[in-house]
Amino acid sequence: MIQLWNVGKTYQNGTVALKDVNIRVRKGDFAFIVGPSGAGKSTLIKMLYGEELPTSGQIIIAGKNINRLRRFEYSLLRRNVGVVFQDFKLLPDRTVYENVAFALEVVETSSREIARRVPSVLGLVGLADKMKMLPMQLSGGEQQRVALARAIVNNPVVIAADEPTGNLDPDTAWEIMHLLEEINRMGTTVIVGTHAKSIVDSMHKRVIAIEKGRVVRDEEKGEYGYEA
Amino acid sequence: MKLRTFRRLGREAWTSLRRNSTMSLASIGTVFITLLTLGLFLLLVNNVEALTLSMEAQVEINAYLQGDLAQEAIDAGLAELQAMPEVSEAVFVSKADALQELREQFGDEQDLLDAVEDMNPLRDSYRIKLVRTEQAAVVAEAAGRITGVEEVKYRQDIVEKLLRVTRIIRTLGLVLIVLLVFATVFVISNTIRLTVFARRREVSIMKLVGATDWYIRWPFLLEGVFIGVIGAVTSSVLIYFGYGTFVRACQQSVPFLPLLSSSELIRTTCVWLLGVGVFVGAAGSMVSLRRYLQV
Repeated sequence: MIQLWNVGKTYQNGTVALKDVNIRVRKGDFAFIVGPSGAGKSTLIKMLYGEELPTSGQIIIAGKNINRLRRFEYSLLRRNVGVVFQDFKLLPDRTVYENVAFALEVVETSSREIARRVPSVLGLVGLADKMKMLPMQLSGGEQQRVALARAIVNNPVVIAADEPTGNLDPDTAWEIMHLLEEINRMGTTVIVGTHAKSIVDSMHKRVIAIEKGRVVRDEEKGEYGYEA
Repeated sequence: MKLRTFRRLGREAWTSLRRNSTMSLASIGTVFITLLTLGLFLLLVNNVEALTLSMEAQVEINAYLQGDLAQEAIDAGLAELQAMPEVSEAVFVSKADALQELREQFGDEQDLLDAVEDMNPLRDSYRIKLVRTEQAAVVAEAAGRITGVEEVKYRQDIVEKLLRVTRIIRTLGLVLIVLLVFATVFVISNTIRLTVFARRREVSIMKLVGATDWYIRWPFLLEGVFIGVIGAVTSSVLIYFGYGTFVRACQQSVPFLPLLSSSELIRTTCVWLLGVGVFVGAAGSMVSLRRYLQV
């Protein structure tokens, strides 16, 4: 599903973000990426949806080598990789429904299909009764649910989440993690970069630890392994 | 790209045009002024050209002959003129014919001519019409060398002045239009830049969820084209009605001025304005998209 071979990334200013990273994630896996700030977690996740390209090595996602994609193929890649961020990235002047529908509109989905899929996915994340609200009127956890709904509405094969619970209180963070687990159970591969030690420790999922741009640990059913 | 997508994108462009109404109006105004100027210059150049053409057709060379020339010599000279490729028509005008023409021109003032009737002061001449006016000098010189020709006269000055005026108007118009088009593209690109900034959040999310580059570009491009088209239509309407009124007014006060009034000319002008309007709109958008929309 996702394979990284000797992936390195050196930014133009000379900063080495990643070095000799080898990771293999199978279809349907759930993996945490942990590590101190600045270790390269975000860079790694950005590579999964083509926001950053490796400066060395190869990345293959869903059978495509992302070094060799043409411009419009990046947009196709992004339809297969749903992304979630710490700051939600919702459009403040659009309702919950419109924010989710937006992701379908821009990939030219028919109106009928949009009207069918948006309510169903909002129901899945538990926001069926808040479709007409604006993001401002929602709590942080609810906003992140909208972002999650937007990420999965196009049926991606991978969800890549960068600190999805970073702005949320512990209880709400748990709800989001359970939701991600739920999505994973339906067959979507989920990769989560996070600092949430207690969550990582109690979920017993695969943990990939990165330090100074290198993978220092990769365990099935792992733990956070740092003092938070 | 599907049709319903285009409708959606067109709607987005229109919404953004209205949301940003001050800048949009400023851009439309700039397009309007540019295209109005362009339209007026097109009409002016066409009219001056038509005027030159009609003057050219009227330009003729008069080669005056010595008084005592034999008929054979006259015929020989005429044949020589007619054989020249630059000459479209050459005729012999006797001094009696010339006097008759003068009578017709004088109209009511016949008394003046009666006085000279017996001792006609005019001369026999060849009257030469040209294929192209620019060749007047050459033909005049050649005519001067023909046996029996005393003196050659033609209205060189007027035609040359007219040609020079046409050239100046054309150059001036071209320079002005090019400058205005540049300014317009700049103003439109500035408007689109604001739109790009206003929508940069949306654009970044569009990219994240897999919109293609062109899907992202189209609304901005269409917004520029809308600005161009609105400017073009308003200036076309003004020219369409304004020029008709102007021509009618001219025909009443200065009837001899040969103004073009064919609807063909106005239609062509309006098509030009529309084309240039679409072009500056699209160009202005593209300038901004290249610089500010990293897709």
